[in-house]
Amino acid sequence: MSDRPILDVSALTKRFAKRALLDSVDISLHRGECVLLTGGNGAGKTTLLRILSGLERPDSCGISIAADTPRSWRRCRHDLHNRILYLHQHPYMFDGSVRYNLGYALPSGLNKPLKRRLIDAAIEWAELGHLHDTPAKSLSGGERQRVSLARARLRNPQILLLDEPTANLDQEARQRTLDLLNSFKEQGIALLLASHDPLHFSSLIDRHIHLYEGRLIAIEEEKLMSMPSPNNETALRSTA
Amino acid sequence: MESLSDTTLAALHLLFSGNRELWEIIAISFRVSGVAILVATPPALMVAFILTYKRFPGRRLLISINSTFLSVPAVVVGLTFFILLSRQGPLGEWKLLFTQTAMVLGQITLAFPILVAMGHSALQASDIRAWETSRTLGANPLRALFTVMREARFGLMAALLAAFGRIIAEVGASMMLGGNILHYTRNIPTAIALESSKGEFAQGIALGLVLLTLAFSLNALLQHIQGKGQPAT
Repeated sequence: MSDRPILDVSALTKRFAKRALLDSVDISLHRGECVLLTGGNGAGKTTLLRILSGLERPDSCGISIAADTPRSWRRCRHDLHNRILYLHQHPYMFDGSVRYNLGYALPSGLNKPLKRRLIDAAIEWAELGHLHDTPAKSLSGGERQRVSLARARLRNPQILLLDEPTANLDQEARQRTLDLLNSFKEQGIALLLASHDPLHFSSLIDRHIHLYEGRLIAIEEEKLMSMPSPNNETALRSTA
Repeated sequence: MESLSDTTLAALHLLFSGNRELWEIIAISFRVSGVAILVATPPALMVAFILTYKRFPGRRLLISINSTFLSVPAVVVGLTFFILLSRQGPLGEWKLLFTQTAMVLGQITLAFPILVAMGHSALQASDIRAWETSRTLGANPLRALFTVMREARFGLMAALLAAFGRIIAEVGASMMLGGNILHYTRNIPTAIALESSKGEFAQGIALGLVLLTLAFSLNALLQHIQGKGQPAT
């Protein structure tokens, strides 16, 4: 993991009506780092991921990408789209085959043989060989998750933001997803995972941050292991 | 007056004997309405997209105004363009009155609000994640726009067919702006109106049969398209 963050966000604020959902949040991500983001329902985890991926506008924040001079979100938006990939809790599949969905992540200028080779490699990587011509909308939750990760692999982002990547998955599908996430990490891609359940990701994560009343709190490893639930108010207050 | 069955037989004879005048009227109808739909669709779908995906002051007012235009009678559209295009009108110099171009302008005005309203509904019913997934996978806004359109294509196709069905059957605007000139601006609805006023029902019924067949075909196509768009159970 390098010392200089590839993404450094400061004083990120987002208000809904008069309530500050995110209140001057600072967050940074390093190459090859996996950060777990927890928080109660409605705490703002998804909103934070969507802002970082350029899909939702914050009220204010400064963003520095690859140790560059901090800029406003508006000025960084293009870079955020290019470098950061956001995966929905329930990944969206375009109308078409698995192969079509994977091909979507590739630049349109690529020649056909190269495109086919890259898609085949992604299919093999995500163990989707038996599904490559299946309509993507008919896939199960676990299969959709693997297609979305294979799509992410083809896109090759610097940072991957995942919203509840193992929610509603059975144990086998969850393990497969974790294996694929681990391979992203090994490639040096930074991961920011939003989840309710820190224990699922204990083998993967380097840092744990918790969103509480609009602010980010760093959770120490020991506290993480001893905490029965990320919503444990007492533990959080003492950490804060 | 001939009986209905005699008139219908005469109408069928006119249709299937390849009556040149009749088929010319049909061709003019399809040409004018086809061009109107082709011109109106891209900007209308763009407006529908903006109304669906962008939040800006006055958005709801625009939706209300568009909905109001859905119920404007064709003859009012015809009258408005007639005033604009007549010799003393502000656009009189263009000399478009009683031309197919004037008819196209009238039909674009009629088709536009239908395309916007139905396109807006179709895009609203589609999943916002299509746009977001497309953008986060690196698509530029234009590619993401086409992706969203592709995802909502069944609803958008329904909008297109509904708008085409509306304009090819309208008589008010075509009569006022085209002038019902034989071999030039006489289309199916204006020909039916003329032949009926002369008491020549055979050609009117023949053309009515064409419109009826067209309406049936469009509806069958619509059902087929909407059926394809239903999720598998």
